[in-house]
Amino acid sequence: MNPPNPPNGMPPPAAPPQRPARQIRGPQSALTDFLASQGINANQIRQDADARRAAARASMQTAGGDDDAPSPDAEPETAPARKETKAQAAKRKKEEEKAIAKIKASKQFQRRRKQYGSDDDMTDEDEAARAVFEESMAPLPGQMENCEVCEKRFSVTAYSRAGPDGGLLCPKCSKDLDKEEGSAKKKRKLAAGRQRRQLQSNLLDGIYPGAKDLMTLCIETLAKNVQNANSLGDLSDELVDKIAAILSKKRLMTPETLYLFLRPGSDTVTVYDAAKLSSDDFIRIFQIVPTVKHIRLRNAIQFKNKVMDHLLGTTVKLQTLSLHGANLIDDERWNQFLTEKGSHLQALKVYHTDGHFGDEQLEMVAKHCPNLRRLKVCHNQKVTEAGVRHIAKMGNLTHLSLELYKQLTDMEGEMSCLEIIDTIGGGLRTLSLATIHDLSDALLEIIHESCQNLSKLRLTDNSSFTDNGFAKLFTGWLNPPLVYLDLHKCRHIDAAEPRENPNNIGLGSAGFETLMAHSGATLKHLNVHSCRHISREAFEHVFAENKTYPEMQEIDISFCQSVNDFVVGCIFRSCPNLKTLKVFGNFGVKEARVPKGKILIGVPNALGMQIEGTAEDEGRVI
Amino acid sequence: MASSSQKQGSSKYVTLISSDGFEFVLLREAACVSKAIKKMLAGSFLETARGDRCHFEEINGIVLEKVAEYLCYNHKNRNREDVPDMDIPPELCLELLMAADYLDT
Repeated sequence: MNPPNPPNGMPPPAAPPQRPARQIRGPQSALTDFLASQGINANQIRQDADARRAAARASMQTAGGDDDAPSPDAEPETAPARKETKAQAAKRKKEEEKAIAKIKASKQFQRRRKQYGSDDDMTDEDEAARAVFEESMAPLPGQMENCEVCEKRFSVTAYSRAGPDGGLLCPKCSKDLDKEEGSAKKKRKLAAGRQRRQLQSNLLDGIYPGAKDLMTLCIETLAKNVQNANSLGDLSDELVDKIAAILSKKRLMTPETLYLFLRPGSDTVTVYDAAKLSSDDFIRIFQIVPTVKHIRLRNAIQFKNKVMDHLLGTTVKLQTLSLHGANLIDDERWNQFLTEKGSHLQALKVYHTDGHFGDEQLEMVAKHCPNLRRLKVCHNQKVTEAGVRHIAKMGNLTHLSLELYKQLTDMEGEMSCLEIIDTIGGGLRTLSLATIHDLSDALLEIIHESCQNLSKLRLTDNSSFTDNGFAKLFTGWLNPPLVYLDLHKCRHIDAAEPRENPNNIGLGSAGFETLMAHSGATLKHLNVHSCRHISREAFEHVFAENKTYPEMQEIDISFCQSVNDFVVGCIFRSCPNLKTLKVFGNFGVKEARVPKGKILIGVPNALGMQIEGTAEDEGRVI
Repeated sequence: MASSSQKQGSSKYVTLISSDGFEFVLLREAACVSKAIKKMLAGSFLETARGDRCHFEEINGIVLEKVAEYLCYNHKNRNREDVPDMDIPPELCLELLMAADYLDT
């Protein structure tokens, strides 16, 4: 035992006993001198020790029926050898047990156990705690110790490292060990960081933390080994689509892997990321799958004139054409395509074409595509109000989505939009007008009057709609309750007086309450991000205790300043089937507790969301 | 109604049987991670009457073993957040994917 009893361990110094002054002394060591000067006296010490021993012996005899009663005589001999009496041993043992119990209860220990052991090795708890205890009992800095590896003697410092068997290492050996472990340690640190980011990334994708479902695991494994796959066999279209999406997300969609998804006889080809494909690869799509009817290509930059020419030369009759980023197709080719193949077209979606696909093409669409049901022009810088007016002639449209970046001139632009809604609004089932900065309440009014079949409505990025206008839209609207509503960034902007909103511009409390009263029962997706004029009272009123929104799955209330922990709690209470709630930039949300199985994104602290409860099991979301 | 009364006394374990006759006995709670199996055992289907034995005529032993392994892995990690992914041998991937789709896990 290392911490000895100093008094007993001290060898009696060779100093003369207390004898009255007789000025004759033998040689005296420096230590004796020093001890004498400090008033420490060997005789005194011996006497003290004897007294203690006697007391211990006496106490043992009175204790009598001890466990090692048969050898009471042996005790006095062994005790000094171990440098502690029975009473001291008992005391030490007691203290040791206390320390171990303390270690067991400590948070650090619990965490450590959580990390290493699972619940089945509960029995080693004592052992583990003892190991921790003994670690803490290691030689203290300043003492000498033999190195565990090279057996050399060295002095222990605070930086001495523990060796593989628990002993300490000399500086040289620790250096070697450091070198060996250095890279591994670094790697572990990196891996931990990656893991944390992965967890957050998964949350954003709607994957609940914890074990992934088997399908996700399989698809991910497949993505890792996609270069070894020859064909996908007879998987269902849905699964193939999921695999295609994940491959694209990992940027693995290359000309080689494209073949896996070109299945002769199939009528759908979807490539979520076609950035690595060349024009010839696109041509090959039409050669291998001549039966294709629905084609969706994102990042299809190389889908250019050459490909369009080939498409025009084939007998392919497309019903759906969805092209993203195809800005190398000139107007002439678009016109030719619309004239020759427009009659079959039911859905046309053109995204990110920069300065291409403009008014002239919309005119051709109106003229040559009588069966068109869906039209989507997104992120377009060419279409003007003249083109928008042509949309009013497409009588069969049921889905319309516009996101135009060429600013419509005030009056003209508004008039053209009103005209569309007025003429075709009755048939529309989804309406999406994004980045419409200057459209006024007149649009809301005409939607109220004309649209009665909408299930999805998106009006975003506007700073002229008023709260009153929204309230009017949703009050007594004959349209059935909506399923999808996106009104993000409908708010007042004034850099000089950011807090003032004298004209009640943007979606405010009244608008929010009426919209929830109108559509709350069926609403699945609600986005009111940046609608900062909605008050806390409105939120509390809408998500009050007696109200439930059974269909609600996703809500985005980011940057609504009045949202706080209580509102978040109310939302979780009122929406039993909610999967995701986004609260970016809501600094009132500090420590909201998230029911198990639900995802809260954007909590403004490093901890992220904190899950509460374990009851529900339907946690997995993808 | 017979099924519901039987459910009261039903065992903690269920048996999954592959097309080639391999049987895997696992905790009911673990097996119910699969929504399809959960429904098989919940309704008044033959499976309950036959003493919680689920036959899968389209899944062979090798794949069903992996499925059973996954069900246990999922059950074991149900309350943890940082779960290491289970290893899936690439050669089984497609078959397992189809099984997973079928079992809704």
